[in-house]
Amino acid sequence: MADSYSSASPEANAVADGFLDDRTLKYLGVAVSSFFALGVVLLVLYILASQVQFGLVPTILPQFISAYGLVLSIVGISSVLSVSSGIFVGLARVSKTRITSGISAAYVQFFRGTPLLFQIFVIYFGVPTLWPGTFPVQNWGFPTAIIALTLNHAAYVGEAVRGGIGAVPDGQMEAARSLGMGYVQAMREIVIPQAWRNALAAVGNDQIILVKDTSLLTVIAIPELIQQFRDVNSATFDPWTPLVLVAIAYLSITIPMGRLVTYLEDRADWGGETNE
Amino acid sequence: MSDDVILEFDHIDKYFGDTHVLKEISLDVTDGDVCVVVGPSGSGKSTLLRCANRLEEIQAGEIRLDGQSISDPDGDINRLRQRIGMVFQSFNLFPHKTALENVTLAPRKVRGIDADTARQRGEELLEDVGLLEQATSYPNQLSGGQQQRVAIARALAMDPKVMLFDEVTSALDPELVGEVLGVMRELADDGMTMMVVTHEMGFAREVGDRVVLMDEGRIVESGAPESFFGDPNTERGEQFLSKIL
Repeated sequence: MADSYSSASPEANAVADGFLDDRTLKYLGVAVSSFFALGVVLLVLYILASQVQFGLVPTILPQFISAYGLVLSIVGISSVLSVSSGIFVGLARVSKTRITSGISAAYVQFFRGTPLLFQIFVIYFGVPTLWPGTFPVQNWGFPTAIIALTLNHAAYVGEAVRGGIGAVPDGQMEAARSLGMGYVQAMREIVIPQAWRNALAAVGNDQIILVKDTSLLTVIAIPELIQQFRDVNSATFDPWTPLVLVAIAYLSITIPMGRLVTYLEDRADWGGETNE
Repeated sequence: MSDDVILEFDHIDKYFGDTHVLKEISLDVTDGDVCVVVGPSGSGKSTLLRCANRLEEIQAGEIRLDGQSISDPDGDINRLRQRIGMVFQSFNLFPHKTALENVTLAPRKVRGIDADTARQRGEELLEDVGLLEQATSYPNQLSGGQQQRVAIARALAMDPKVMLFDEVTSALDPELVGEVLGVMRELADDGMTMMVVTHEMGFAREVGDRVVLMDEGRIVESGAPESFFGDPNTERGEQFLSKIL
């Protein structure tokens, strides 16, 4: 297809007319990606055919199912908590009151600036020793998981929300205020719904990372999916059978989550991007 | 001060940092009048308009609506703003609301008017600006001219005493300017008090009751359109007219 650029000025397109013209680049892309995909498919088929012991699956499936349920419940609770508190972190971040925005900024700095693994250790090992007398919670692992994932991901959601609010044009707030709305009302009715749409992709991304972050909980012996892999692997010396189950389990959570984000974005389309 | 002055700028000064953008401006807008503010870019005309509903703070002087101070920091600005409609250059419609929802939102949420009454009034207003058929369209499904007409209907839905128009045709394609000016002309004919910042000299001459020329933060000339466009009193007025006509 001769586009207007190439017909307009031959000299300007001298570079493009060399080896990497549009057509060559397209076929090169198809070739590279097909080659890559073929390699992956062959590798997976090879692993399934030669490495995975399907006979082992019925034996180990129950513990994977219960681990899957546990991961789902940890993800469900910390998702709701981290998104809802993250919205407040983001709102505090754009506050005109210095102390509020400063505290929110420091919060984000800390939880984004230290590893989640470190935060898990602080809560799991550090906090109980601060307690005067005996620490009252018996099974501190599960609460640790919820608290660490919530605090950590609220920081990321907060940054996404802050970015989303920043991307709403100032004119929206001005129009709302000029109609007599107060600041809070204008934020609630006008700015936040638009900011939420702007932030959706980033929030969704973060929540998918949250799912994968549950794998770190193996270090405090939460019986999640990686923990099941370690159990099975050390008992049977078979890495691939549990690895495949782990992969299926994570993907069955993260792929639908990605779809959900796309669906929510489409729903907040507000008439499409086209002008008449 | 006569009784029928609605909007009153009383010796106001406005600074952006060290820049003195409005210099001791006094201006009265009379009930039912259309006051058109013209002048070169950077003369402070949009800033003056934005001060009138406190989107910008002033540093000295006072602005009064019906005798009540707008610039008083302790005053209830949200209440006063309900009586001052504002239309922006960039429309600023709410993109997540339909045309009708844009118009009914403030009456419902700010005034507490019930949904049915608000919808009825909203449909009347959309009909007035010729957009009843677009009631369920979202802003990005409308042309610039249609969006701006919805924005006018949205401001009118609060039954304001004064309407402020901030270069409302500047962002429009030339062929869409006419439909917006048409709505504004009808509004003026209905007796709405309007303060209009514009570059549309034809509109200023035809619809304006009074034309105010601003330059470098000052009002340099003010008068009826016939005398302003026919025989300006000041050299600056003559210069300005010679450039734009």
